[in-house]
Amino acid sequence: MNPRPLKDLADIVRSKNAGPYRITFDILFKDKARYEAVRDTGAINPASVAAAYGIDVAQISSFFEIDMANAIKITIKRPRAQGSAGDGDMYGCQHHVPLMRIDIPAS
Amino acid sequence: MTAITVLTPTGTLGYGFGDEALARGMSLGPAVIAVDAGSTDPGPHYLGSGKPLVSDVSIKRELTALIRAGREAGIPVIVGSAGGAGSGVQVERTARLVREIAEEQGLGFRLATIRSDIPIERAKQAVAAGEIIDFEAGSALTSELLDETVMLVAQMGHEPICAALDGGAEVIIAGRACDDSVIASFPIWRGADPALAIHMGKILECGAFSAEPFAMDVMLGTLHADNFVLEPGSTARRASVKSVAAHSLYERENPFKQSGPGHEIDLSACSFEQIGERQVRVRGAKLTETAEYYVKLEGAKLAGYRSIAIAGIRCPTTVKALDAILADVRQKALVYFAPAPVTITFHVYGRDGVMKELERETTPQREVGLVIEVTAADQELAHAACHQISGAMLHYHYPGVINTSGNLAFPYSPSDIDLGPVYEFSAYHLMKVASPNELFPVSFEDL
Repeated sequence: MNPRPLKDLADIVRSKNAGPYRITFDILFKDKARYEAVRDTGAINPASVAAAYGIDVAQISSFFEIDMANAIKITIKRPRAQGSAGDGDMYGCQHHVPLMRIDIPAS
Repeated sequence: MTAITVLTPTGTLGYGFGDEALARGMSLGPAVIAVDAGSTDPGPHYLGSGKPLVSDVSIKRELTALIRAGREAGIPVIVGSAGGAGSGVQVERTARLVREIAEEQGLGFRLATIRSDIPIERAKQAVAAGEIIDFEAGSALTSELLDETVMLVAQMGHEPICAALDGGAEVIIAGRACDDSVIASFPIWRGADPALAIHMGKILECGAFSAEPFAMDVMLGTLHADNFVLEPGSTARRASVKSVAAHSLYERENPFKQSGPGHEIDLSACSFEQIGERQVRVRGAKLTETAEYYVKLEGAKLAGYRSIAIAGIRCPTTVKALDAILADVRQKALVYFAPAPVTITFHVYGRDGVMKELERETTPQREVGLVIEVTAADQELAHAACHQISGAMLHYHYPGVINTSGNLAFPYSPSDIDLGPVYEFSAYHLMKVASPNELFPVSFEDL
C-alpha cells in the first residue's frame, strides 16, 4: 500500500488560533469509514505532528480523536504569542500545510 | 418550557448578513437578536488602542437594520464585545452610534450599556491576594506587568446581561463578554437550561459559519426543554450534522470540556441529529458550576512603535545570498542604534514568512517578498532604523553580486511606512470575583 498525504484522505485540514497562545488544528473526514481508516493507522499522533513542524513534542498542547465528529484535533503552543514581534499569522489560519503533508499508510 | 429562538445575524457585527436571510429569520419569530462584535482573534491592537475593529459605517448600517427589526418585533437586541475588544471607549463609541440610530430612525427604547474595564488596582489586589491564575500565557501575572498594561478587560458571563434585561433594556451594548454568553443570556434569563443555552451559544456565535455553505450570515437556534435546533436564515444554506459538528471544534482546544465564566461545560455525551434537509438537533451538554467564580482577564501593553518597509527581490544571486545579507544588516543596525534597543523582524515571503521556524520546506524561490519590520521606543527611532536597514540592503555588496544598482524592488515611495503604536497581550489570566456582576456595571438610558 502506497502511503498518501493526509490532504488526499481528509475533507478539511485547517488551523486557527485558540486564544493568543495556541494554534489548533482540525482534521475532518467525509464519513466514519475514512475517519476510522486514518485514525487506526496511528500515523497522526503527537510525535508525528511535532516532527512535521520541527518542534518538541512538549509543545503539543493536546491531541483528541473525536469519534462523534469524525475528526482529529491537535493543538500546539505558539512559538510566540499572537501579534508579538515576529508573528507572521495573526489568525493562525495558514499553519496547516505541514500537517496535510503527513503521509498516511491507508488507501 | 416554551421554545425560545435566538437570531444571530452574523459572526461578527459589521461583517455583514443577507437582508433576505434576516427577513426570513425574523419571520420565524425569534425572541431575541444577539450578536458578538469582537474577540482577541484580530490581535491585541484593538484592546490596546481602543480603536474599533470594524468601521462606524458598517456597525451603524448593520445595527440600524437589527434595531429596526428588533423594535418592529418587540424583541431585544444584544451586542457583546462591542467595538472589537469590549473596552470602555469601544462600548461608548458603539452606544453613540445607537443613539444616532434612535434619533435618525425616530425610535424610542431603553438602552443598557455594560462596562467590562477592570481597574488596574483591582487586578493588583487580586495578584496580592493570590486570586489570579495563569490561563495559557505561560507565566504569572505580576504587579509590574499590570503597571505596563494600558487596557484591561474581563469577559463577562450571562449574568450582567440578564441584569440589563431585568432593568427592561431593549438594546444592550455590552463590553467584553464570553461569546457564548451573549447568545445564551436571553434564554437563560427566560429560564432555559444554561448547559443547552451556552452550548447553543458556542455554535451560534459565529452566525452561519456552522452552516453549509458557510458565510457571515443569519443563523437561528431554538431552545427546547432537552435539546436545541439550529437552522440558517437563508434557504440557500443548510445546517448539517457535519457542518455543526465541525463548528463545535472551531477555534477552541478541548472539544469535550469547555470552561466559561463560573462554569464548565461537558460536551462528551453530545449528539447531533439531522432533521429534514436544513436543521440539526443537538442534545447532551452538561454544565457544572465551578466552586469559585473566575473571569478571564485580557490585557494589552504598549510594546513600542513600528515602521515597516516592503520590497520584492527577483535576482537569483540576491535570493541565494539572502540569509547572510539579512544577518549582516541586522547586526549593523543593532550596533548603529545601540544602546537604544530596536527589535528587527524580517518576514521573508516565498520562504518562511508565514510560519517562520515551523516551516520545514526548502523549495527554491524564484521571487521573494520581504517585509522589514522595526519596533522601537518611539516612532522616530523605528522609522530611522527601518530606513537604515532598507537603505543598507538596497545597496548591499555581497560576493557574486551581478546587479550592482540595487537589491530591493520597492513598490512604494516612501519605502518606509510608520504603523504607529504596537500592542502585545500582557494579561490572559483568570481572576476570582466575589460575584458574577461585581466587575460589570450596567447603565440605562431611555432614548
